[in-house]
Amino acid sequence: MAAADSPSAALRRRDLCSRGIRLAGKMRSDVVDLLDIYVERQGLDASAGVAAVEGVPVAAAERWDEQTGTQRLLENLAAYRAFRSLLAQMLEEQREQLGDADAALGQALAAVLLQVSAFAYHLEELLRLESRGPPSEEGAGPPPPPNLGLFERKLRGLGVLRELAQWAVRSMRDLRQLAKPGLGSSSAPSLTESP
Amino acid sequence: DSHIQYERVGADVTMKCGSMDWDAAVTWTANGTDIDESHLNGSYLILKNVDLTQSGQYSCYEGSSWHLKYQTYLRVGIPPKEPVLMCRSNNYPKGFYCSWHLPTPTYIPNSFNISVIHGTREMVCEKDVFPKNRCHIRYLQLFSTVKYKVTLTVTNALGKNSTTLTFDEFAIVKPDPPESVVAKPVPNNPRRLEVSWQNPSSWPDPESFPLKFFLRYRPLILDQWQHVELSDGTSHTITDAYAGKEYIIQVAAKDNDIGTWSDWSVAVHATPWTEEPKHLTTEAQVTETTSASTSSFMPPPTTKICDKGAVVGSGAVAVCWTAGLVLAAYGVLFI
Repeated sequence: MAAADSPSAALRRRDLCSRGIRLAGKMRSDVVDLLDIYVERQGLDASAGVAAVEGVPVAAAERWDEQTGTQRLLENLAAYRAFRSLLAQMLEEQREQLGDADAALGQALAAVLLQVSAFAYHLEELLRLESRGPPSEEGAGPPPPPNLGLFERKLRGLGVLRELAQWAVRSMRDLRQLAKPGLGSSSAPSLTESP
Repeated sequence: DSHIQYERVGADVTMKCGSMDWDAAVTWTANGTDIDESHLNGSYLILKNVDLTQSGQYSCYEGSSWHLKYQTYLRVGIPPKEPVLMCRSNNYPKGFYCSWHLPTPTYIPNSFNISVIHGTREMVCEKDVFPKNRCHIRYLQLFSTVKYKVTLTVTNALGKNSTTLTFDEFAIVKPDPPESVVAKPVPNNPRRLEVSWQNPSSWPDPESFPLKFFLRYRPLILDQWQHVELSDGTSHTITDAYAGKEYIIQVAAKDNDIGTWSDWSVAVHATPWTEEPKHLTTEAQVTETTSASTSSFMPPPTTKICDKGAVVGSGAVAVCWTAGLVLAAYGVLFI
């Protein structure tokens, strides 16, 4: 394997970052559409506030601009692995709740789940390039679904999708930072101070 | 002693002459001018249904000695109406600013207090020195789904009012317009204009947070704009300009992923390149050519022209003129 900072590795990183940004952009667009369908099908108010949902990775980051490339990749990977489990749970619950009565929602959920899985794999590729390798998933299985009533589950699903939409935007930003030339995975970029 | 007194427009105001008895002989003045006794009730000054013009300095003098017994500055005004508040991030991801104003003046001093809450956290909005009705906040977190709640309260001596804005981090992102927009003709290309611009200087990191652009252009003589959306780069070549027509061009910017479009940039004007006529003869002919798009060109008399670059695009007719003829053809614009 080429050294993490070799020219070929840098080119490969930029290529993976560019493709990752496009994947994340498409994923975000589909999640936004899914949110519309979800809100409508579940009879929710689109403006409903949802408190922080346990087990859902929060996209909000303090000192985001100070993160190293590796930190960004690890946080992204952890998030999308979690979303993969959460969306699978949602899909299962949706099938139990509505059966085949709502194919559109099921299909939209499945499509986003596929993209989330693909993006997680893409992040693993990037981590391999950093000579870090992705952390294993052994022992970090999906958390058991909480014992919630139907309405709470609907709100939880809303929270999951909203947070996923934020993550998709954050991932695009993270990958752009990673793609900047001259930055190794262990160095943090610094935003120039605006006047 | 002297003090300030605030009263509402339309109110009835009674002023006592300090500690003077009701039946004391006094003289009241307003801005140095004696007030007629008809406005007095004993030593009290009665002003009914006050209006803005009655703001001023009111003084009361003891009748015979002309000692100043009381002085007040009357300020007539109105309580504040609901203020207008706006918040925007033109320097994402650094922070955002909020600015406000009153829809109608109160005519008396007002103070403003702004609070910014993000989840459970109260954030500090640092007031700008200028303009005074603005403050800015640094983002402590990015990519948060928790909404921001901004409450502005305006208070004066006659009352208070407030307004609240609630918004997402992404929703208020609106860059400033692109800067240094330049449009130039392209030599030997009568249908092209080269447009370039720069990112707004207030946008701190265009590399990590790239902007996309929207360009609009039209000939001055038409009302309808052409639009082009550009996902990268800060230049564009217009290739379908009507030859010889002056164009007006503007550019707007938006973060690639979030927020809304900026206002349009300052407009620039440019006219595509046209060839200079070499000389004129007495046998000038003018013909009208009809086509789906306009064409206007002045071929030199001694040059054979059958050049695509000098000819109209779709629906056009390519014309060649032989030496010795000076012909001017004017396309007819079809709308």
